[in-house]
Amino acid sequence: MNWGGPIIHTGGGWSAIQFLTALFPPDFSPDFLAIAFKATWQTVTYAVAGITLAVAIGLPLGIIASGTILKESSPWRTPLIASTRLLLGALRAVHELVWAVLLVAAIGLSPMAAIIALALPYAGILGRIYAELLQDVPQQPLQALRAAGASPLRVLLYGYLQMALPDMLGYSFYRLECGIRAAAIMSFVGIPGLGFQIQISMHDLLFSQVWTLLMFLVALIVLVDLWSTRVRRSLLA
Amino acid sequence: MSAIREPIVVAEGISKSYAHVTALTSLSLRIQPGERVALAGPSGSGKTTLLYLLAGILQPDEGQLYIDNRSLSHLQPGRELSKLVGIIHQQYDLVPHLPVIHNVLAGRLGQWSLFRSLISLVWPQERQVALSELAKLGIADKAQERTSHLSGGEQQRVAIARVMVQSPSVVLADEPVASLDPARAEEILRLLTELTTSAGKTLIASLHSPYLIHKYCSRVIGLRQGQIVFDLPASDVTEAVLDCLYNLNEYPDEELVPEVS
Amino acid sequence: MIRSPNAIRAYRQQRQPLTFARASFYAFFLIAATSWGFILLSGDSGLTDLFTTKTWGNAGRFLSAMLGLNSELTPAYLQASRWMDTGKLAYHTLAMSVLAIGIAGIGAFLTLLLAARNVSNGDLGGAPSRAGTVAYHVTRASYIFSRGVPELVWAMIIVFFLSPGILPGALALGFHNYGIVGRLTAEVVENLDPAPARALRAAGAGNTKMLLYGILPQALPQFITYLLYRWEVVIRTTVVVGFVSSGGLGREFILRLSWFHYTDVSVIIVWYLALVIGVDLLSAWLRRLARFE
Repeated sequence: MNWGGPIIHTGGGWSAIQFLTALFPPDFSPDFLAIAFKATWQTVTYAVAGITLAVAIGLPLGIIASGTILKESSPWRTPLIASTRLLLGALRAVHELVWAVLLVAAIGLSPMAAIIALALPYAGILGRIYAELLQDVPQQPLQALRAAGASPLRVLLYGYLQMALPDMLGYSFYRLECGIRAAAIMSFVGIPGLGFQIQISMHDLLFSQVWTLLMFLVALIVLVDLWSTRVRRSLLA
Repeated sequence: MSAIREPIVVAEGISKSYAHVTALTSLSLRIQPGERVALAGPSGSGKTTLLYLLAGILQPDEGQLYIDNRSLSHLQPGRELSKLVGIIHQQYDLVPHLPVIHNVLAGRLGQWSLFRSLISLVWPQERQVALSELAKLGIADKAQERTSHLSGGEQQRVAIARVMVQSPSVVLADEPVASLDPARAEEILRLLTELTTSAGKTLIASLHSPYLIHKYCSRVIGLRQGQIVFDLPASDVTEAVLDCLYNLNEYPDEELVPEVS
Repeated sequence: MIRSPNAIRAYRQQRQPLTFARASFYAFFLIAATSWGFILLSGDSGLTDLFTTKTWGNAGRFLSAMLGLNSELTPAYLQASRWMDTGKLAYHTLAMSVLAIGIAGIGAFLTLLLAARNVSNGDLGGAPSRAGTVAYHVTRASYIFSRGVPELVWAMIIVFFLSPGILPGALALGFHNYGIVGRLTAEVVENLDPAPARALRAAGAGNTKMLLYGILPQALPQFITYLLYRWEVVIRTTVVVGFVSSGGLGREFILRLSWFHYTDVSVIIVWYLALVIGVDLLSAWLRRLARFE
């Protein structure tokens, strides 16, 4: 196996110095700031769209996979649960960037490629987690609901979902955070967004622009990280 | 001559066992409408099993159960059964995250359409019913609070409110006051018996305290090791009788066991 | 039914407190609505294009190319040599993932005790020290930095200095996951039952011994579980990192796509799925073992 050895890249040292000095000052010209803001907005939009789509797909699949709405006795139960779990596993198997590259090859550099590429694996991840959270819910309140006359669907609405909701929401916000990071990275393959702009500026060797964009990227990620953490703490209170 | 009313609860030859334990053996009893029955007995005597069988949560291995002349073996937990029998437990009955009003209205889930059940989560339906029950229990001002924020005694009232909204003919209570201090326990039992009697319902509750049994119940059934050891009006059940029941060594007098017709 | 107007009035007067979570939820709905509005209404978001015959035609052509239909050339999936060559790359990818997990694991293992607040401030019976608190903050900061930088960005940075191969990719993944596993396990240590460690302390064990016997054994199963969970994630990300750092399936994937060798892409995807499924199963099995250890 060829490890490719830790030989320092020739020319790497000089580029690194050029890159670092371009930090002072970064490109804050109004024209470029407009580009940076637009790119950030695009990244956020695609990430949010992708996540909402992921929840829309993952929630029903997760509910089915948890087995909470099907009667114990129904013969449909095991095959339905098994096939849903299989579907979720298949969606999860492929990394969002691999989906992105494939989708771009299939339908071109459209933002929809990013949105779908984000939605599919995240639907799988969310669905699986939702199913586990729903199953781990304490049983006694559910028994009481059944004894009060509630059908399985109502037990789901008033019991399972209510008790699992804080954790489900918390995890979904965590996924939102991951999604924004992924959307930024995804735009490296040519889809509009922060990553795409970074690529362009890198290509033109306009390192100060790259630094501006990196700051936007870091600021975005840190902001979402803080927001997400605060939301999760508030949910558990 | 008094009219003989149809018993509302009839158990004939009920037996139930779990893995290695026989919980109930050939147990029979009849309960008239409107009675307030206390089930007494040490742990493991089969009180909870009996209550779960009456609630339709478990099915007996042998024997027949009838509530209001309907055979329980033909009824799964659901709409019809919830009109006949309702049960409250010691704790953990309620969905902690839901506001109180929704937990109370859950008693209507057996009767509501799916659409209504869904809508109610956003705009509570039939609030009047729920609020009037909560008012009778003195906690109407907590209706919008999250259930988990209430104290143990308050949560038990919410559970009672739910059962009253569900409005079954028979109300069962499995150790409803066991985790409450004596003052709260009496308060809860008073409310429970008042509400069920004024609504014409039958109450069967498992209780330990001789004082509470005496004050709030009309009849006492003593269980021990899955069998009925005595079945007497509450006034005849003295502390000595209950002591015998719970005492590990002594067996109760033969003459305390009445004829079960 | 008793109508109690007081009760209704009291009910209406109650207000559900607006928690931060609730407010965030509303804010998110707003953002989501705006985002979808922007996507559905603005011209350059590609949604309308998605449903044109042109796009479906392209997608259809892509799919049939992946399956090797309508082509005179022998599809790659029918050539045993292609499978073998790609298989070798798959093996490299696997090696990269194991190496990455190893790096992350060792790094996290060495630092997790430093990052646990109850170790450094003496809750567990060790003596609190200035050095301990400094070490805590430094380690925690290293975790945040390492996991804040996405794997791909780590890879791009490392490739600047090291020539392409398996090592840059493994390092990138290792660095990124070091922070994740470290933070998770440190939290486990912080939530541990302090009783066994304190008992050891009271019995006269020195600091190191207390850590080794009292804390590590409790945290170890969870640490291994986290590591194995991350392995499942890493094997999927290894291919992505390979786009940049080469070595393994990643580079090959990108190259074949750019050359339009779509049947080779299919072969690569099959190997990729095999790796993912294999690692998922292995990880689940090992996690079960760790439970009963």
